[in-house]
Amino acid sequence: MSARGRDRWFPWVLLAPAMTILVVVALVPFVYTVYLSLHEMQYARVGAWAGVANYRALLGSGRFWHSVAISALFVAITVPLQFGLGLAGALILNQGVRLRSVIVPLLFVPTMMAPIVVGLLWKIMLAGSWGLVSYNVLERFGILTDTSVLASPALALYALVFIDVWQWTPFVLLALFAGLQSLPVAPYRAAQVDGATALQTFRRLTLPLLAPLMAVIVLLRIIDAFKVFDTIFLLTGGGPGTATESVSLFTYKMVFDFWNLGAATATAVVVWIMFFAFSNVFYQLLKRALRTS
Amino acid sequence: MTPSGVAERAARRRAWLFTGLAALWALAAVLPVIWMALMMFKPEAIMFERPPVWVFTPTLAHVDYVLAHGFVWNLVTSLLVAGASTVLVVVVGTPAAYALARFPLARRDDLLLFVLATRMAPPVALAIPFYLIYAKVGLLDSYLGLVIAYLTFNLSFYIWMLWSFCRELPVELEEAARADGYPRGQVLLRVVLPLLRPGIIATAVLCFIFAWNEFLYAFMLGGKAVETLPVAVPKLITSQGVKWGELSLVGIVALVPVLAVVFFLQRHIVRGLTMGAVKG
Repeated sequence: MSARGRDRWFPWVLLAPAMTILVVVALVPFVYTVYLSLHEMQYARVGAWAGVANYRALLGSGRFWHSVAISALFVAITVPLQFGLGLAGALILNQGVRLRSVIVPLLFVPTMMAPIVVGLLWKIMLAGSWGLVSYNVLERFGILTDTSVLASPALALYALVFIDVWQWTPFVLLALFAGLQSLPVAPYRAAQVDGATALQTFRRLTLPLLAPLMAVIVLLRIIDAFKVFDTIFLLTGGGPGTATESVSLFTYKMVFDFWNLGAATATAVVVWIMFFAFSNVFYQLLKRALRTS
Repeated sequence: MTPSGVAERAARRRAWLFTGLAALWALAAVLPVIWMALMMFKPEAIMFERPPVWVFTPTLAHVDYVLAHGFVWNLVTSLLVAGASTVLVVVVGTPAAYALARFPLARRDDLLLFVLATRMAPPVALAIPFYLIYAKVGLLDSYLGLVIAYLTFNLSFYIWMLWSFCRELPVELEEAARADGYPRGQVLLRVVLPLLRPGIIATAVLCFIFAWNEFLYAFMLGGKAVETLPVAVPKLITSQGVKWGELSLVGIVALVPVLAVVFFLQRHIVRGLTMGAVKG
């Protein structure tokens, strides 16, 4: 083979092992799931061709739509809260806060710890009657007595929202803070010379400069908030009843509680396609953010 | 007092106010952890006191229980699975990331999107086919099965991150080495790898943490044979009752590598968590 020919093959040789693995661990399972979802499933046995019957059953199932609504509600509350608080925190941190080298690592702790440990922490904090938050906050303000907020059909979802905000707001904060720190200095000098107020500078300079990064962060949060499983699984298992049954929990229960693989595989395919669309948008946003930074 | 003195004092007061706010936030982030750390030495008798007790004579009963009931094995399993999957990811992912960054490949955008989408895929949707396929090929309840499953999120993450590190390398050094007659493979090994080392280490550590923290795959695919530390958590919540002290101990042990990373590698965390949108 000529040197030129070898050169042409070189990158593909480097790529081949990784791409083969990704095809085997991601593409093959996806195709297999699509295949299963189009068949009648008796437990793990693949039955006759079913066409879109599984999908029709799924889309006609009230429980599925309920789980979609729960996930949508969860995303709709957590993401704006995390973004608002995170932006406020980033602006504060950007104002010459002292002890930054101690504060910043501590802020990272909730975001980097295992979600199952986050669940555990709050299982302890929110335990009925003796939990630190239950006793000192919820009871004191008469919100609940003698029971865990996680056992309340009306409040359990909001407890999970609170936990997700606790866990992920620091991430939004620190990402935006890093973004603020990397902004160019020159436009700010010019604004100062022109006598711009702090609010004007923020609206005319900071917001537009930071917008691509903000878009990336928000979409990332939407994607992650939609997938949340570990904390809900540990804290409420989707209950009480189905009060906190998100799409992830619904899918899990269809497999391991009901052995309804028709519904489970159909959900998986629907969720998958949705996430592929998310990823595509995210990729475009990310490319834009990288170009401007 | 001079006007500038007044302004300076106002600025200083503001700085302390903001410092106070930030410190309060940091406290809210770690207070539950401190409380949990106390729980692991708390005697059963005062655990459910109202009001909750902060000061007490510590007991080692929970530590003894955890040691006696094989939880050390959970720790070893976690280390093995996370370690093996990280090594594999570095070996396979590094050349791939380099290839994606350096060569004008056909359909590179599609390849990158495929990598990213693999990273984003919800684990619960992937775990179903994994479970069914593993049941057929006998990979359920095996170390290998779990290591393979972790490739879905970690290999894609690693390639993506390292691709962004590779793009920052100056191409001139490689061109110079090529001009000196070094073959491409040698350039990669002798020139590129040493330059990439900080990026490789940072990304590999994050991969290790992601695998270390992972719960769903381990829970669904690992069974009784391969129980990682996160899987040990629900095991201590039984119908006979919840072993709070033991749970807290397991939780704190699971936190140790995370704390190490948070303090020593924080520069790279934001970059990793934003998929490279922010440069560390």
